Amino acid sequence: MLEINDLKASIGGTEILRGLSLNVSAGEVHAIMGPNGSGKSTLAQVIAGHADYEVSSGTVTYMGENLLDLEPEERAREGIFLGFQYPVEIPGVNNAYLLKAAVNARRKHEGLAEIDAFEFLKLAKEKMALLDMDPKLLNRGVNEGFSGGEKKRNEILQMAMLEPKLAILDETDSGLDIDALRAVAKGVNALRSADRAIVLVTHYQRLLDYVEPDHVHVLSQGRIARSGDKSLALQLEEKGYDWVREAANG
Amino acid sequence: MKPATLSYDALLASVEKLPDDGLAVTRRAALDHLHKHGLPTTRHEDWKYTDLTKIVDIGNQFLDGQWDQPTSQATGDLVNSIRDSIEADWLVMSNGIIDQESIAGLGQTGISVTRLSEADGEMEFSTPLSDLNAALLYDGLRIHVAADAALTRPIGILLVDDATTSPGMSQTRIEIELAASSTASFIEYHASSGSADHYANSVSNLKLGDNSHADYVRIQERDRSHNQTNRLTVGLGRDSRFNHCAFDFGGRLVRNDLTVDIAHPGATAAFDGLYLAGGQQHIDNHTRADHRVGPGISHQEYRGIMTGHARGVWNGKAIVHDGADGTDAEQANHNLLLSDKAEIDAKPELEIYADDVKCSHGTTVGQLDETALFYLRTRGLNEHEAKQILTRAFAQAIVSKSPIDSIHEMLTTKIAERLSGLMQGVEA
Ligand SMILES: Nc1ncnc2c1ncn2[C@@H]1O[C@H](COP(=O)(O)OP(=O)(O)OP(=O)(O)O)[C@@H](O)[C@H]1O
Ligand SMILES: [Mg+2]
Repeated sequence: MLEINDLKASIGGTEILRGLSLNVSAGEVHAIMGPNGSGKSTLAQVIAGHADYEVSSGTVTYMGENLLDLEPEERAREGIFLGFQYPVEIPGVNNAYLLKAAVNARRKHEGLAEIDAFEFLKLAKEKMALLDMDPKLLNRGVNEGFSGGEKKRNEILQMAMLEPKLAILDETDSGLDIDALRAVAKGVNALRSADRAIVLVTHYQRLLDYVEPDHVHVLSQGRIARSGDKSLALQLEEKGYDWVREAANG
Repeated sequence: MKPATLSYDALLASVEKLPDDGLAVTRRAALDHLHKHGLPTTRHEDWKYTDLTKIVDIGNQFLDGQWDQPTSQATGDLVNSIRDSIEADWLVMSNGIIDQESIAGLGQTGISVTRLSEADGEMEFSTPLSDLNAALLYDGLRIHVAADAALTRPIGILLVDDATTSPGMSQTRIEIELAASSTASFIEYHASSGSADHYANSVSNLKLGDNSHADYVRIQERDRSHNQTNRLTVGLGRDSRFNHCAFDFGGRLVRNDLTVDIAHPGATAAFDGLYLAGGQQHIDNHTRADHRVGPGISHQEYRGIMTGHARGVWNGKAIVHDGADGTDAEQANHNLLLSDKAEIDAKPELEIYADDVKCSHGTTVGQLDETALFYLRTRGLNEHEAKQILTRAFAQAIVSKSPIDSIHEMLTTKIAERLSGLMQGVEA
């Protein structure tokens, strides 16, 4: 589904991704771990199409297409979803309005009619109940004054409504209480299927207790330093990142 | 360079042509006052950014030409479409001439409307443009809301102008008084049509009795080749409340002055505004709040969105006079510049001579938030849609604050249309 080959990307003249390769197939869940500043969010933002990052070499192929040629909105309509590490507050733009506009943008792209207003509301309420979200959040400004946990749940709500083919969740589990973590995990697991792929960027094993990954990667200094199965995450928890760095250098 | 001025001889001839009615004496006095003091130039601090030369030019051409311009079918259509789109009791003035039928048709109790010329027309003229207004005024309206009356429908004041064949100039004046403990809402709507030059000069005075409450929305949607100056002066009685919101969508050269005078304790004034400008539009809002006693509140927030070569000016002045303790004055002005040729001159001014006051001010000038734009695009909205959504949200903050809830939806639609026009880039 997603093939990244020797990707180099920089921002403001600083190279952050330094030859990163990664393959994600349909049906898989990947976890990306790695120290602060290693480039995890950069990778997520480059996949989503942020214009501030300059790709100097390498390729990114999504469903057989050159992803780097597409505008961010085209990527979204093709089924890519990025859950932001820091969801953006947009005062004055109604949360339900954005949710519906996002759903309709995707539907239009697929040649479907706009979602019926009643149908939309019913679906949104259902998903919110699953995520244990206060329905009032639907009528607030997008993330406006939301608590940290509410923002993360809101990202998952958008994901649940959009049913992306490829979901990249950038530290959606950070800053969540136990209940919220379970709710988010429920949302992610509900999306898991043979024709979708999920990439979880995380620092903690605890999310992976709920959402079991097929592959775990450690990103270090802009490269995948090590890949393995779910046991790699447990080893990291125990030994820390120095162990990976030493192993990579030694 | 000698500043352009209106020809005194032409002014005098015009004043003499006006009816010999209750206003005759005041017109002459106003003309003398104007002649003595002249019109402001950009050397005056308050007029630094707004040059009246073009307006003077239109005025002189108009004074040389014929006075009685026929109003065209277009004016009638404009009047009808506005009347149909907003629920209100409408008083109509076309090219400065009062539509008598609209006065007669007023259905509500608790309100009386008369012509200024019917009474011994007492008119204030303290500024050059209100001098000009009083000197050339054909007639104006006096609106009186009776004590304890609570009007159920907004009073609409529709000021339309039409300059089809030759340069036009119009003067309109509204004197409003709310007696004690009354409640009323007003919609002052400016519109114009026609491809010839036009200059409209309107003056309104609003006096709020003790414990009264006025909601006042001004909507200016003139043709984008036409010009206007507008002044609203508000005097607040004890414990009275004034909620005002101004929307400027049209006009070429536009200058609005809003003056709020708090001379009795317990008064609250909230006045907000939104200006959307593109092309060569120039929209200038000057506000002034005088706190002469305390406690008193004046809160204002103006927002502007400018593109093309448009220029916005916002100058908000609050003066807390000696002894006005317990004053709470707040000023905010936020601007979005959507092109690198668009400009804003924003200046808050606080003068505080009392001790126990709460005052704040803040201005911002910026572009659309890139992070928010990207976020919206990652949700599938294209760049144009995302920009539209963000600019509308920026503007909507003012609509939400505006009094008269029944027109919010109409305003929201109008703003979306105007923004869509501005952002197509057709008015670069
Ligand atoms: N505009 C910029 N100019 C220069 N360096 C930048 C810029 N933006 C980000 N960086 C740097 O890029 C590096 C990678 O950042 P990134 O956000 O991808 O890290 P991360 O792996 O997601 O870290 P964390 O675990 O803390 O979220 C950091 O060292 C950061 O300081
Ligand atoms: Mg990060």
